[in-house]
Amino acid sequence: MSALPHSGDATTPPAVTRIEHTRLARPNGWWGMAIFVATEATLFGTLIGTYYYLRFNNAHWPPPDVPEPKLTLPLVLTGILVATSLPMQLAVSAAGRGRLVTARVALLVAVVVQAGYLGMQLHLFVHDVHEFPPSRSSYSSIYFTMLGGHHLHVGIGVLLNVWLLLRTATGLTTYRMNALRATAFYWHFVNILALCVVGTQLSPRA
Amino acid sequence: MAVTVREPARQRVDRLERIWAEPRGVFGWLTTTDHKRIGLLYFFTALAFFGAGGIEALLMRAQLSEPNEKLLSPETYDQLMTMHGVTMIFLFVIPMTTGAFGNYLVPLMIGARDMAFPRMNALSYWLFLASGLFMYYSVFTHAAPNAGWFDYVPLALNQFSPGRNIDFYALGLIFNGIASTATAINLIATTFKLRAPGMSMNRMPLFCFAILAVSLSLIFALPSLTADLVFLELQRNLGFHFFDVANGGDPLLWQHLFWLFGHPEVYIIILPAMGIATSIIPTYSKRKMIAFPLVALAELLVAFIGFGVWAHHMFATGLPTITLVFFAAASMMVVIPSAIQIFAWTVTVALGRPEFRTPLLFIGGFILLFVIGGLSGIMFAAIPFDQATTDTYFVVAHFHFIIFGAAVFPILGGFYYWFPKITGRLYHEGLGKLSFWLTFLGTALTFFPMHILGLIGMPRRVYTYPSSLGWGPYNLSETVGAFILTAGLLVIFGNLVWSRFRGPPAGPDPWHGGTLEWATTSPPPPYNFPVIPVVTSAYPNWDRDDRRADAGRLERGELVLDEGHETPASTVVDAVPDEVVEMPGESPWPLAVALCTALLFVMLLTRHYAVAGIFAAMTLLAVAAWHSQEPQEQ
Repeated sequence: MSALPHSGDATTPPAVTRIEHTRLARPNGWWGMAIFVATEATLFGTLIGTYYYLRFNNAHWPPPDVPEPKLTLPLVLTGILVATSLPMQLAVSAAGRGRLVTARVALLVAVVVQAGYLGMQLHLFVHDVHEFPPSRSSYSSIYFTMLGGHHLHVGIGVLLNVWLLLRTATGLTTYRMNALRATAFYWHFVNILALCVVGTQLSPRA
Repeated sequence: MAVTVREPARQRVDRLERIWAEPRGVFGWLTTTDHKRIGLLYFFTALAFFGAGGIEALLMRAQLSEPNEKLLSPETYDQLMTMHGVTMIFLFVIPMTTGAFGNYLVPLMIGARDMAFPRMNALSYWLFLASGLFMYYSVFTHAAPNAGWFDYVPLALNQFSPGRNIDFYALGLIFNGIASTATAINLIATTFKLRAPGMSMNRMPLFCFAILAVSLSLIFALPSLTADLVFLELQRNLGFHFFDVANGGDPLLWQHLFWLFGHPEVYIIILPAMGIATSIIPTYSKRKMIAFPLVALAELLVAFIGFGVWAHHMFATGLPTITLVFFAAASMMVVIPSAIQIFAWTVTVALGRPEFRTPLLFIGGFILLFVIGGLSGIMFAAIPFDQATTDTYFVVAHFHFIIFGAAVFPILGGFYYWFPKITGRLYHEGLGKLSFWLTFLGTALTFFPMHILGLIGMPRRVYTYPSSLGWGPYNLSETVGAFILTAGLLVIFGNLVWSRFRGPPAGPDPWHGGTLEWATTSPPPPYNFPVIPVVTSAYPNWDRDDRRADAGRLERGELVLDEGHETPASTVVDAVPDEVVEMPGESPWPLAVALCTALLFVMLLTRHYAVAGIFAAMTLLAVAAWHSQEPQEQ
């Protein structure tokens, strides 16, 4: 048992790769993120539940003075966001094999697309707030709360990716590798969430 | 242990001492990441809030001691009643059980050297402290929350509660929820990943199962409270509509989301008590818990069923009958895992050779009070009975038997039981027994007459009552009981404070306990164990051969991990040792993050949203600074 790998000593890409290969279970940091994602998923479950609770309490949903949710642009944007799960996962597997440059390029591609998505969405958000402000009805209240909550999560994910790019610029350690795995997991969650949120918000069109 | 430590082993232990040493003095406490020191910080802070909540209760009891009493104004009474509930639940029981007991004991019981995320552990504490101070600051501005701990709308909307009172409540609890979530994540990851080699899931102590169940409940229950509070703040301050019918909202939405959190919350409060019972009973009965796997499953089941019963708090709100029947049936189901545990505890005592020391007396009191409170609880599952007694003192009687009698008695027993471990000294047994009887009689006298008062019609949440209804004598006896109860609690703390300085030395294992915290010195060293124990059963400290093998490994230098700030991480189910992880040491950043977060909440309270944004950015910067120091760089 004294031959247990010391993950703290792994501060070069080949050493990190060795740890990744000998490890039987997922690292602590991945578990921390998984449990955090569980609580965040519950939070959004509550928001979606509230959306339908309010919907079933109202005869008109959306109310007559609010335009029906637009279909094309939100779906296209969501599709683009969901596609960033691929470069995120590519970054994880490349870093795990010691290919740090590939990992950094994949991360950069992902974060550029994600930031573009967020900028576009914030623009739409501000436009919609002027058109039907949240103080008008329970429909617009839950609409903007849910959407704002999701944009906040995308924003935090963008910050995490920028942070990872900065940290991996000076090399790879197991600590950073675990952070990358956890962040990729977070992004998969945010992307699935995007589908749930957009699905809920477009449901009056169905 | 009476093992003669030869030279190489002594050198290894010295190296561990050097590696795990933390700065001395106040600075050491501010930057600490040692789970034991954080546990003690939680303990003293939660105890201070317990004192505040207790004083609030005594003031209310004094006001209610006789009809038409004028000690408190109705406004003050409302604030005291709300703060009493909020304090006892969010600032005493949860931090005391998960923060103090969970933090101090879980790593020791599973043979780890710290929690999975030591710096986040420190952050949890500072956030909890700041959220408590935030809420208590309201008392000094005469704007304490005043709509009850359940904070029902429409009363809590700004038309009816225009002051800052409700904002203190809502923001304070969102803030507090962040701290509880961080603790829960940490405890789950710790029990999953840091168990000693060989401690597979089925060998994990039942106390850790209870803490795991509590943490899972927190993870899945707190979000609905958080969402509810965010809705409330958005409606109060930014004109959103969630709870007003005129704009398409619904006041019952508040209650649904609140109780979707609030009922799991009841089990969050009671489960650690069950865990403490499963620690104390085997030790003083000198045998293993019977039906060990069933008890572990029952603990998890209580937490699980707790999510399907929330509407039984809403039987009088006009929900459809089919809904009522479903929730009544689900509520009765909770009896099954509760009864499994009650039988397992009592039969373990009956089949063992019980030694009725103070901690076991408290567990006896706990079982009795839990059964009484449980029986009145089943009565509420009968919908017509609930509708007749709702909003009367019968409900107050029921839930105080559960959340004082059943939840707090094991905490008090736990103070005595683990006191020798934490201080290295023994408490005074005679005074301990006296304190039990005072507390027990005080509890019965305070809360039992509330059943009768409820049945003869006294409503809850009233600040006074007329003399013509005959409620005076019962209320007077409750007030007398509350003061006897206080005397009992003061004897406990007097005993522990006196014993801390004058008690005889306890040695590592005064009770011959079965779990690993008794395998190390009292108090434990900063690294907990000189050698990581290897475990082959659920009561490893009763496996003498295994503990001798540990001593041998220390001699040979196996699993000592004296090259750094290290602990082994294992596979989740079987606890096969997997890697040695570098643990972060002391850091000032958790305190800085908590401070920025506290200022953020103060700015939200005072509606300075731009400044709040600045503090949010500072919080993120502090988090970045925290993580730019990696554990292996320390």
